[in-house]
Amino acid sequence: MKQTFVFSGSGGQGIMSAGITLAQTAIAMGRHATYLPEYGPEQRGGSAKCTVVISDDPIVSPLPRRCDILITMNELSYRKFEEDLKPDGVLLANSCLVKSAEPRDDITLISAAVDDIALEVGNPKTANVILLGILIGATDVVRLDVFEESLKVKFGAKSPEVLAMNLDALSKGYALGQQYK
Amino acid sequence: MGEKRFMKGNEAIAEAAVRAGCRFFAGYPITPQNEIPEYLSWRLPEVGGSYVQGESEIASVNMVYGAAAMGTRSMTSSSGPGISLKAEGISYLAAAMLPALIVNISRGGPGLGSIQPAQSDYLQATKALGHGGFHAMVFAPASAQEAVDVVYEAWDYAERDRNPVLVLMDGCLGNIMEEVELPPMREFTDEDIPEWSLSRRNGRDYQGNITPIYTEPILEGLNAMAGEMYKAWEEDDVKVEEFLVEDAEYVVVAYGIAARVAKEAVMELRDKGFKVGLIRPITLYPFPKKSIHDLDYSRVKGIIDVEMTIPAQMHDDIAQQVMERCPIFEYGRSGGCLLDDEGVYEAIYDIVTGGGADNG
Repeated sequence: MKQTFVFSGSGGQGIMSAGITLAQTAIAMGRHATYLPEYGPEQRGGSAKCTVVISDDPIVSPLPRRCDILITMNELSYRKFEEDLKPDGVLLANSCLVKSAEPRDDITLISAAVDDIALEVGNPKTANVILLGILIGATDVVRLDVFEESLKVKFGAKSPEVLAMNLDALSKGYALGQQYK
Repeated sequence: MGEKRFMKGNEAIAEAAVRAGCRFFAGYPITPQNEIPEYLSWRLPEVGGSYVQGESEIASVNMVYGAAAMGTRSMTSSSGPGISLKAEGISYLAAAMLPALIVNISRGGPGLGSIQPAQSDYLQATKALGHGGFHAMVFAPASAQEAVDVVYEAWDYAERDRNPVLVLMDGCLGNIMEEVELPPMREFTDEDIPEWSLSRRNGRDYQGNITPIYTEPILEGLNAMAGEMYKAWEEDDVKVEEFLVEDAEYVVVAYGIAARVAKEAVMELRDKGFKVGLIRPITLYPFPKKSIHDLDYSRVKGIIDVEMTIPAQMHDDIAQQVMERCPIFEYGRSGGCLLDDEGVYEAIYDIVTGGGADNG
């Protein structure tokens, strides 16, 4: 099976980091993955987009036109990339910033107040991990325990507190995502 | 089994260079290749090598010229605009018969163009990397793994030929992360340093690696030697992937990222019963002439040149081998707009079903 994901938002929202961590987790599970970042010349605040392809077979083309799962962290990226979502696809939108996403018959819309949940967790920067939690809960794209291991590798060296906060963010997102399964 | 890592193509090139024995890098920043110098800035000192961010592209390539003269495995990297600036130094490397690796992670052009990926530098790479009519072997990997493989061998060719080698890869592959298996670190002793290098003067008074001007008959002789070398490359060193070509009625010719996107389209078209194949040059120079020349043109109805640049730059090299035995079609995106799987599929589909325009 092959799935394509587009993560989109603005620079600083953890878009690239989310894509890399998902791809690394898929590889840790013995699958194949490619990650393609796309951004403009800005360091911060410009548009950020990355495309992740995950497959059981080696990936031939890493450049899909459309995606199976679209993650949009803000309104601008939602409007820009909505048309790239395949029919029967999943749209995961940060409802704190994506205001115009309407339910459609041909896709599954998961609208979650990711930024608000991140504040509850204790740091707005955990929004991308909450998002990944929702994604994993709703789609089983990777195993939760393998993803937790990826987070341990990523944040373990920083501090136990940072890691604990991210694991908390992941489990909150996961619980929310399971409602959409 | 080698060591597996999830790396950007640019980082994979840098690590493979270190493992191949590269111990000197000089360069100047430019998108989309910055991960190469960034990586080597910390990695080379770890292995006792030297990293220099030069004050310009021209200074950097000339530092590589100096290090190469000493027999050190040396490299520089840039993108199109920077490669143009390095052109003089690359020509001097060829004149001085010095091995070095030049990496071009290409972007939209001409001029400053775009920072986004494109395959706009085929002609520069294969026809005139600098003045004076020299050639370098040009490798065009299509994945991070293949980039590792060609970079790992690059200096073997460069030292064999005493000539620079170019790796040409677009910014997309430079920035895509994928899994790579890394080869072991190659170990060299002083005995491995080439005999001609300045560091092995062995009591000789003079060794002319930094070349002054040549006198006429000597230069003509060197030009003739180079000509023989290019011919030998065509016999011995062509690398090409042929995919489902044997019974193909339409053959796509594409390299690098374009070949990967095209290969997926070819696979899908095969599933639907269309007899389509792919020829993927891995060496752009020497060009895989035979693969295209020797196709059975009583069967092949068309060649489709797919590139991430407009107009297609391989066209003339393909046409020389097709010799008007079938039409040559083109499809591309350009200027930093990327090829995508559906776009390439539709373009090839239109051609094989009779709707495409013949640009032959």
